[in-house]
Amino acid sequence: MGLTKKIVTWARIKSPWIIHFNTGACNACDIEIIAALTPRYDLERFGVLLKGTPRHADILVCSGPVTRQIEDRLIRIYEQMAEPKFVIAVGSCACSGGVCAGCYNVKGGINSTIPVSAYIPGCPASPKAIIDGAVKLLTSLKG
Amino acid sequence: MIHSLFLLLIFPGFIFLSIFGTYAEFVDRKLYARLQNRMGPPWFQPLADFIKLLAKEDVVPECAVPGIFRIMPIFALAATTTAFCYVPVWSTHSLYPFSGDVIVVLYLLTIPTITFFLGGWYSTSLFARIGSVRGITQLFAYEVPLFMSILAAALLANTWSLTDITLFYSRHPSYTFFNIIGFAVSILALIGKLEKTPFDIPEAETEIVAGSFTEYSGRLFAFFRLTIDIEMVVGAALLSAVFLPFGLTLGPIVGFILFIIKVLFIVGLLALIRTIVARLRIDQMINFCWKFMAPLALLQIIINLILKGVL
Repeated sequence: MGLTKKIVTWARIKSPWIIHFNTGACNACDIEIIAALTPRYDLERFGVLLKGTPRHADILVCSGPVTRQIEDRLIRIYEQMAEPKFVIAVGSCACSGGVCAGCYNVKGGINSTIPVSAYIPGCPASPKAIIDGAVKLLTSLKG
Repeated sequence: MIHSLFLLLIFPGFIFLSIFGTYAEFVDRKLYARLQNRMGPPWFQPLADFIKLLAKEDVVPECAVPGIFRIMPIFALAATTTAFCYVPVWSTHSLYPFSGDVIVVLYLLTIPTITFFLGGWYSTSLFARIGSVRGITQLFAYEVPLFMSILAAALLANTWSLTDITLFYSRHPSYTFFNIIGFAVSILALIGKLEKTPFDIPEAETEIVAGSFTEYSGRLFAFFRLTIDIEMVVGAALLSAVFLPFGLTLGPIVGFILFIIKVLFIVGLLALIRTIVARLRIDQMINFCWKFMAPLALLQIIINLILKGVL
């Protein structure tokens, strides 16, 4: 690995900006994601910032199964993000469809629509689990 | 020739400004976090953000006008860096002083807002357009009090040159205390210029995604962020030169350390105000600027006119 690449990888690990997208969750995982961003857990000490626009974000944090309504929008948001981009699926429903799998209006987990880099199971996933999953994703970039 | 290039590009020009700007951003974010009882980002955070953004893909939207969309960040960066040539740093003497440079500095510091407007407008995103229009609306509100309060100080010093203003106030430090209203007004106007809370209406991320920068990504966005950092430093340096001209005659090293302290003091004030105040609506902001800040700046001009008659 060259020096430039090392510096860029370091910067990428130290400054993950996220965007949160609800693909059809029951809101429990969303509340836990918001809880992870509050001053109690203080994710800014790892450089995490919540961004409003997909153009600025590096990590798309999805919660909930992909419903047929949201499918096109999810693909659109994913394609609006600039490379390199990563997707984290938060919660059992986002990982596999969970209790919603096989429902008439549900397509399945996030990976049925877009490629996923990290899965964080839990119903809902706790803030500590979300932080742990994000850290594991970032450390995998080093390798 | 090489000497001027060194002054313009390395110290106290572009490289120094970039480093100091990113450091000022760190101080701002760290103070903000500590005031909220958080740990806050590590010292290298703005640098890591900048490098990461440089290494990201530049997305230019299909409907955007690519030329203007690409050139605007560079234009903004050039304008703010140029403004620093006329601001005194470690002595009462700026790099290239001429009479009337205070007006030039004020106008050069207006250019970033115009570039945010043009960049946002030509990216043809709805959110970016709303943000740009709000930014321009806000410009008309805070710019007049800022100009009036800084020119009131210039009025007392009887010159339009920033170098001479600083020289006058460091010879008569007691006159600075008469400018305290102007200092308060220009701090508030500087918040509007930097689009920080409570005047962050143009990039209100809970309402309009990211304002003018909605469609910007990668390198172009990195330059816009760097511009805002440098604008913060240059704006704070301008205010410290006009309103806090202490210790500028003590030699370059002491003067330089004092310059850093003064700029970080103003950045700290901005962070403090950002912590304790929530975002205003655009009409409340305009009302506040025209009903309170502009009359106070006028009062400052009247005080200085009377002082000039008395002294």
